[in-house]
Amino acid sequence: MTVRRREFLKVLGAGTATAAAVGCGTGEVERLIPYLVSPDETVPGVSNYYATTCRECSAACGVLAETRDGRVIKVEGNPEHPLSRGAICARGQAAVQGLYNPDRFRHPWVRRNGSLEKITWEEGLQLFAQKLGEARASGGASSAVFINQHESGSFPAFLDAWLSALGMPPHISFDAQSDFAAVAANRQSYGVSWPRFDFKAARVVVSFGADFLDSWGPSVAQQLDWAEARADVARAPRLIYVGPRRSLTGLNADEWISCKPGSELVIAQMLGGQASVAAAATASGVPAAQLADLQRDFTSLRPNLAIAGGTGPGAMQLALAVNALNQANVGSTVRVDEPVTAYDGLDSPAVARAAIERMRAGAVPILFVRGANPVHAFGKAARVAEAIAKVPFKVSFSSVPDETTELCDLILPDNHSLESWGDAAPVRGMVGLQQPAMDPVFDTRATADVLLELSRRSPATAAQTPPAPDGYRNWLISRFPGGARGLTAALPAGLTAGTIAPRAGRAGVTVTASPAIESTTGDMYLLLYQHPLLGDGRGANKPWLQELPDPVTKICWQTVAEIHPRAAERLGVVNGDLLTVATSAGSLTLPALVYLGVRDDTVAIAIGRGRDGMGRYARAGLNALDLLGASASDASGAVAYASMKARVTKAGGHHELVTTEGSARQHGRGIARAVAAGSLGQAHSAAAAPTEARGADAGAQHEDGHVVPEMKGMASREFLPGLRAPVANDAQGDLGDPNSNDKGMYAPDHWSGMAKRRWAMTIDLARCTGCSACVTACYAENNIPTVGAEWQNAKVFPDRTGFGANIIRSREMAWIRLERYFEGGERGESDFETRFIPMLCQHCGNAPCEPVCPVYATYHAPDGLNVQVYNRCVGTRYCSNNCPYKVRYFNWFGYGEPARPHYAFPEPLNWQLNPDVTVRGKGVMEKCTFCVQRIREAEHRAAAEKRSLQADEFTVACAQACPSRAITFGDAADSSWAVTKLIDDERAYHVFDELNTYTAVVYLKKVNHPREGAAVAATGATTGAAAAPPAGH
Amino acid sequence: MAASAKPVDARDIEVLHRPNIASADVQLPAVRDYEQVDREISATLSPTAAWYIGLFTAVGFLLIGIAAWMYQIYSGLGVAGYNPPVMWGVYIITFVFWVGIGHAGTLISAILYLFRAGFRTTIYRCAEAMTVFAVMTAGLFPILHLGRPWKFFWLIPYPNWRYIWPNFKSPLVWDVFAILTYLTVSTTFLYIGLIPDIAVLRDRERNPIRRRIYGVLSLGWRNSDREWRHFARAYLFLAAFSTPLVLSVHSVVSFDFAMGLPPGWHTTIFPPYFVAGAIFSGIGMVFTIIIPLRKWFRLQHYVTLNHLDAAAKLCLFTSLVVGCAYMVEWFIAWYSGLQVEQDYFWNRIFGQWWWASAILYTCNMVLPLSLFSQKLRRNTTWLFILSIFINIGMWFERFVIVIPSLSHEFEPWQWSGYRPTWVDYAILAGSFGWFSMWFLLFIKQFPVIAIAEVKEIVKPRLKKPHDHGIDVAGQHLAFERETPGEHE
Repeated sequence: MTVRRREFLKVLGAGTATAAAVGCGTGEVERLIPYLVSPDETVPGVSNYYATTCRECSAACGVLAETRDGRVIKVEGNPEHPLSRGAICARGQAAVQGLYNPDRFRHPWVRRNGSLEKITWEEGLQLFAQKLGEARASGGASSAVFINQHESGSFPAFLDAWLSALGMPPHISFDAQSDFAAVAANRQSYGVSWPRFDFKAARVVVSFGADFLDSWGPSVAQQLDWAEARADVARAPRLIYVGPRRSLTGLNADEWISCKPGSELVIAQMLGGQASVAAAATASGVPAAQLADLQRDFTSLRPNLAIAGGTGPGAMQLALAVNALNQANVGSTVRVDEPVTAYDGLDSPAVARAAIERMRAGAVPILFVRGANPVHAFGKAARVAEAIAKVPFKVSFSSVPDETTELCDLILPDNHSLESWGDAAPVRGMVGLQQPAMDPVFDTRATADVLLELSRRSPATAAQTPPAPDGYRNWLISRFPGGARGLTAALPAGLTAGTIAPRAGRAGVTVTASPAIESTTGDMYLLLYQHPLLGDGRGANKPWLQELPDPVTKICWQTVAEIHPRAAERLGVVNGDLLTVATSAGSLTLPALVYLGVRDDTVAIAIGRGRDGMGRYARAGLNALDLLGASASDASGAVAYASMKARVTKAGGHHELVTTEGSARQHGRGIARAVAAGSLGQAHSAAAAPTEARGADAGAQHEDGHVVPEMKGMASREFLPGLRAPVANDAQGDLGDPNSNDKGMYAPDHWSGMAKRRWAMTIDLARCTGCSACVTACYAENNIPTVGAEWQNAKVFPDRTGFGANIIRSREMAWIRLERYFEGGERGESDFETRFIPMLCQHCGNAPCEPVCPVYATYHAPDGLNVQVYNRCVGTRYCSNNCPYKVRYFNWFGYGEPARPHYAFPEPLNWQLNPDVTVRGKGVMEKCTFCVQRIREAEHRAAAEKRSLQADEFTVACAQACPSRAITFGDAADSSWAVTKLIDDERAYHVFDELNTYTAVVYLKKVNHPREGAAVAATGATTGAAAAPPAGH
Repeated sequence: MAASAKPVDARDIEVLHRPNIASADVQLPAVRDYEQVDREISATLSPTAAWYIGLFTAVGFLLIGIAAWMYQIYSGLGVAGYNPPVMWGVYIITFVFWVGIGHAGTLISAILYLFRAGFRTTIYRCAEAMTVFAVMTAGLFPILHLGRPWKFFWLIPYPNWRYIWPNFKSPLVWDVFAILTYLTVSTTFLYIGLIPDIAVLRDRERNPIRRRIYGVLSLGWRNSDREWRHFARAYLFLAAFSTPLVLSVHSVVSFDFAMGLPPGWHTTIFPPYFVAGAIFSGIGMVFTIIIPLRKWFRLQHYVTLNHLDAAAKLCLFTSLVVGCAYMVEWFIAWYSGLQVEQDYFWNRIFGQWWWASAILYTCNMVLPLSLFSQKLRRNTTWLFILSIFINIGMWFERFVIVIPSLSHEFEPWQWSGYRPTWVDYAILAGSFGWFSMWFLLFIKQFPVIAIAEVKEIVKPRLKKPHDHGIDVAGQHLAFERETPGEHE
């Protein structure tokens, strides 16, 4: 057979067309559908911000929820809110991971024959109404119990009105995370739940175990105040921390008085003159001289401020004693007139305990739980689950699974706070508004609306329900000053002046504090503490919070027992060796973490992890509450976390520590530098020399005063070589050649004007507290995957005590990380100093990463950015090898690829992803971009508005979140930006300037505040150089 | 001479006065005539059961490596034991290791040819084949270690409408050129040297298909004077052309490190140090291959103890050079006064990586000192054992260069460790499988000893047969007659 040319071409054409059609098909036709009728205020690609209220802790800061195309993508601080003032903590930002949590209840559930079954809302409401009716019919309504997660605002009153309409007693406002001992003492001493602390007015601050910078009280507001106070270097207050373990606040303190757990009280009494120094020294195990100094400082430096945050059986007495010390400070450092009202209406946990005892006695016919989780909060030994199991019908309104909800018969999941209407009372005279930033992600309903619906459909109760039954929002409007119009006017700012009458918080009726810690048996004190990020455990199922290293221990995804180096030596263990910690209530076997900041007779364990009933991420680690005594409590009813001794024994065996810490010592490399407050203003003088990390700017002057001549080729002593220049010349190859005629966009007169800018950042280490909010902000802004979950690595290192197989291999992806270096304390002394330094891409003018990339995947932008092109990266990882700062991160697995086990954003967590930022595929390098998407957005906005960029018009995500305002971002080539003033500060320095990298990130030295008259003794030994390199040099 | 442990083979008798084999004056007293050379060497080409077992083992290892690589491509590089900031691991170590191995071949065939070192004659083919296959193996690793290996061609400058070129400032791009050039030239050199031998095989081959293939490969070699003249010229030219490449390739590979900032990398000694190390490792591998091979192929009278002795001296010399480089490194680390560098060296030798350093220094500096003993130089068992140690030591040398530097850099907060996983080991094993497969296939297709060159030093066929004896003068005559180009 012959094939003619024409036929051949036909066949060829048809074949090609078929191949093209088949080969190019994606299998699924995707359509782009334009908005014909655009929703109001929606511009594709432009964010809308809704001012609302964060409900991640009781403080209820004001936040802005950034939404894009109807989805919340980020939570930022509300600049106009009195508590957050534009800043936000890590937990607040992780609210979106609660909103999009893959383990959230997606619809109502009912428990039938012991197993949960999916039901519709209609079925759920019917069942609820029926059971409620039965309870009321049998006269049990008066003994019903409603335990609600504490929140300020109108909801508690609404709830009580609803309950009383149905003949039920008021609800129990429960919050295991708040320090109720302090609240109770404040109510008693000051008549307010929480005064504002004016650190700026104080000359010395003594914290008795209060971690006010991190997890204690409205920490964002306190941190903002603290940083403001410390930023005024000359008048900054000195911070003394009293407690058995240095928390984050303890690490920020200038002095640590390491007392035995429970002995804070006697030290407070000593300061109050009720105990002698000698007696306090004996009881607390602190040298008398140190206590005498404390007494002298506290009494001589006025106004002073004492803050109590104890968690032992004597916490209430301690708080009262400390409040007594502040007697003279009311009005100056303790602002009772500007109280934080967020804790008003909080009931003593003893009230919940009493209710649980009634349940145990079988006297409670029906139980409602919303958000609160008493089963977990009181520990296993309290046998709360048994008691709750005796209640015939239990309803949970929780939106996420937890240990209490697991026992419930009916689950009617509440909306997330970002999907709900509400209000809050942050500070006196202010009402914070909560508005839904998006439609509910799942088939959930706001509990208030459920309750109203229930009332309406039950004819027996309809008459008695609260007014305006057509939705909680209308109920709010009806009570709002100015009605709907007033609410609408207040919504943009998210707050308005006004007062919500608080319900009275109840103290525990008859509370017996647990026996004194000394009377328990064991060879070490057991100090349980709330995890600064996971709180009492409510954050445990949020991968950001699991992956963010604890600011103090730098442990993620794992529960460890912190012991002092001397204790480790005594027990014969090193980091990671397993310890068994046993109390009368239970025992745990967990790896040891040798931590300088804990007493050598104390073992400290964070609670919050090891949650079985909470979801996939929360299983990491162990639940240290298993060690807590059955009724560990102080006189206020607060849970006493530090109320027992424990037997600590070496268990044998070893586990990798899931930590991001390499070496906690600077080895004299001058990364995080510090200077004594007294030596400022006389830079490079001999007085400054001993306190500088590297001996007064190594090149210029040696410690012994010997002046080293400056050598050609060395980094110039003159500050900031190249930073003021728009770009470093040698970064762009031919384009940067001074003799080149064609400089492209690098030419200073190029129409884009890019080369006129030099994006730069300053980080003030005197402000930075190490809280790590910036890290989570970066995760949220830049779609950084969390990598520590068990299933995200091919189990190269299985680890029973926690997740984090990838973290063990240092594969965390945090573009900005908080390094925490210790100075001093080599022999376990308690007077060590801690320096926190956020480390991110330094955007070097002369970047070592750029020339080594074989494919130009990293190059230098004309405006000084060191740019990473993901599409171009082939993954040689040479750039990372050559980066002295080690701030480049590699996608070892397909963290951004949904079909893989390593996927970091399981549906619907991926709804949070920032559409402005690429989700990186496997095999490419990534790093801090200086939020280039924000830079370009601002430039484009300015261009669209036909104007030039205004100074400080925008900022990057880390700087925006920072609750201590340590980070400043801006254009270093334009002196109208704030960053340029900070660059000229006498404390400014570059990390590793000897490498001639000409970094765009400028650090401002930390400022230490040694005791007056003892300047050198307190910090002189704690320079970087003192951390001796390994022997042999 | 019964220096070796094995029973004395009648044909393995060495001349008593042990001529200076590092010169052109080399004799193979047990090789009598050309016919014997042709017969004995082409006899090595017939496959044996042991060869099949070896080949299947090699292919088995290769398949394991391929499977591991596929798994790695599917899952991501995370399945290998990378532990940031240790961003380079076993693959780069193994890459440098194989490039190093790939050095000895061209050194022996080209540089020693130019220096007229007689002992190269019988081992160079083997070394050269080893070179080509080692470079082929090495070339895989930079691709293997990429995050996105399917984009490897972006490192190659090819014209594209986006006008995007590789970054010629990056040592990795230099690597691409260095390795590809070296592979091309050493393959050409191997092939050119093979042409007369292929012609011999063609003449002896009975299978018509193979005969045809050999015929094509031998480019119609007819053994004419003119052919020999061109051949010798070409060979000499290529030898001269390869010589700088031997030095350049590993210098360029060393730039991967020397151009980097990490302590322990940023040093100017790296190029000579790497070249010496490469030659050292290559000779180690030559021993590893040739000692069993001469035994299995019964070629002890070709690759004589004299040859091994001379090669062992070269091995000893390079070991001393490498050892000297190590000591210079220590000295400079101390003398530099750079604290980061000093910390790093301390950590490398006495700290975290002491065991790797101990392996390295023992295998590369201490054990080769045994070669000062002539007895041990002529003891094939010891040479074989030592060569294994050298291979291990040189792999660990690269380990010590790559891993400790990256794990202990400027930022103490980011100090870490490194532990390879089974994927690393499987791919490492696969690379040995890949190399061995090619080598095993080669030795059954082509003579592992250069027939033509051996014939050059065999006594010429004289009119009347005579007894064993040394007739040096006659040999020279033979050279003059048979290879006109040789001595020009």
